[in-house]
Amino acid sequence: MQRQPYATGEMSRRSFLRNTAIVSSAVAAMAAALAPLRELDEFPSLEEFLQKHYKELTPEEMDRILKRIADEVEKEYGRRPEIKDYKPLNGVQFVYCLNLTRCVGCRKCVHACVAENNQSRSPEIQYIRVLEMPNGTFDVEQSEHTYQPPAVPREQRYYMPVQCHQCRKPPCVKACPVEATWQEEDGITVVDYDWCIGCRYCEAACPYWARRFNWAKPRIPKDKLNLNMSYLGNRPRKKGVMEKCHFCIQRTRAGRYPACLEVCPTGSRKFGNILDPESEVSYILRNRRVFVLKEEVGTMPRFYYYFDV
Amino acid sequence: MTAETKESVVLTAMILVFVALYGVFVEDLTGRVRTPPPPEPTPAWATNTGTVRISAAEVIATDGDTSMMECYVCHTEGERQPLKLDSEGRVILVVEHSDLIFGKKRCLTCHDESEEASLELEYDDDGRVILPKGHEDLVLRHGEYGRNNNCYNCHNPDKLDELVTRQGKKYPLSESTMLCVSCHGPTYRDWLRGLHGRTSGYWNREMGEARREPCAACHDPHHPEFPHLRPAPAPRRLHGGQPQAFAGAHRREAGGDGDGGSDENHSAQTAEEPEEG
Repeated sequence: MQRQPYATGEMSRRSFLRNTAIVSSAVAAMAAALAPLRELDEFPSLEEFLQKHYKELTPEEMDRILKRIADEVEKEYGRRPEIKDYKPLNGVQFVYCLNLTRCVGCRKCVHACVAENNQSRSPEIQYIRVLEMPNGTFDVEQSEHTYQPPAVPREQRYYMPVQCHQCRKPPCVKACPVEATWQEEDGITVVDYDWCIGCRYCEAACPYWARRFNWAKPRIPKDKLNLNMSYLGNRPRKKGVMEKCHFCIQRTRAGRYPACLEVCPTGSRKFGNILDPESEVSYILRNRRVFVLKEEVGTMPRFYYYFDV
Repeated sequence: MTAETKESVVLTAMILVFVALYGVFVEDLTGRVRTPPPPEPTPAWATNTGTVRISAAEVIATDGDTSMMECYVCHTEGERQPLKLDSEGRVILVVEHSDLIFGKKRCLTCHDESEEASLELEYDDDGRVILPKGHEDLVLRHGEYGRNNNCYNCHNPDKLDELVTRQGKKYPLSESTMLCVSCHGPTYRDWLRGLHGRTSGYWNREMGEARREPCAACHDPHHPEFPHLRPAPAPRRLHGGQPQAFAGAHRREAGGDGDGGSDENHSAQTAEEPEEG
């Protein structure tokens, strides 16, 4: 039997297949494009949405925000944090000094920092990276980040921990398009996690690779949450915001030493007020051979490395 | 089977295939929210703020943080561990314990300063000192090449639990720092300025006190060299898994493989000589 050709306007098999394919892929693509909305289970409240910039907040507004954050943390972690907005102390300029002769590369600072500052355990976020380099070299690009010998220090190696250098001329602050990061009077460059849009320009601008991005929602074991929190410091972050070392704002602005310093078994880490001539850091800067990392980029770090010899 | 029936069967089958594909596609794109692997717990010893010379006995006695002493994670309770001794009969600490020096108690843990009885050394037939009870693990390696290896350089020959400097000044065990100072002047100067050694507490002395550690908190007076430590876990990849590979120059030299942090790599490094605590 001879088949009749299809009349005009009648659906051919070819056009049916084509249309079905187009329509189904279009629907699938649409669904894929809207997929991120499925994860938006917690819409920001109106108050949160209309929150002003940190520097424009009145103390009453800050109190309300802190209460809101405490509620959120309590809801998620089951314990109520002690959260404060620590302000810079008068007549204080923080400086950090690290003794390269003493550092043995044990990485205890890295983990003390993670515990103190409520950093995400998975995916892993760490503010401090300890670089292992052969003696007599100084090429950070060729350094070893993941050394794991049974015991450190290894023969013919030295160790250089790197974290935020709290630059006096911070390129990250310059790069931020929304003023979500700025330098405070005591020299700490802070990030407002409620204001950050997650563009990561600051990460690209930093010559020390000090900034970390929350690619996923940070995950912290409930019992490991540090309840001593600060607004600009270690309160839990959201997905899609930048974070970085802030010299443990919740400790140092209360007069205490940062967590990385207290845990260091060798006493390589020194911290203090550079405006106080009696402080350890003043003495080191006056009497020791001190250098800053990547001096040539002109960022003028507040983080100094020094030697014992 | 007519051509029409055949055609409709094929068309129905195609529709079903497309619907199924669509379903799978959409389900795959939106239905599954991928969760990262559960957070790896940080070992307690990695954040412990104790000094390197805190002994297990001391931690327990001071009601300290014993979470780091997870002895039975590796050891079986009630099972005796074979001890390794060096050629001179001293206990060699295994590498896993180099971070926590067991048995190296500080003097005052056992010795009472008000004790009047003088302690005397006993000698074997060759005239060598028999190490007193509780001091069996003592390693004498003070100074480069062990130059300061004589008991009476620091101990009072007439009263062993009293310290005596080269100039003859006597100090009780609790003031051992002053004995160290009699030789290590520049280090003492740095220590006084807060440079040498650990500090904790308050940088702002008006808001609180800073705590300093004496020499013997970190240095074993008989073997003052700072012990080698076990490094805390290395950084991992963004989504878990093995540590990120950073193909450093020296790694390539060492014939390391491209994907750093593999188990082979680790075991190659563990072949290094274990450290003696």
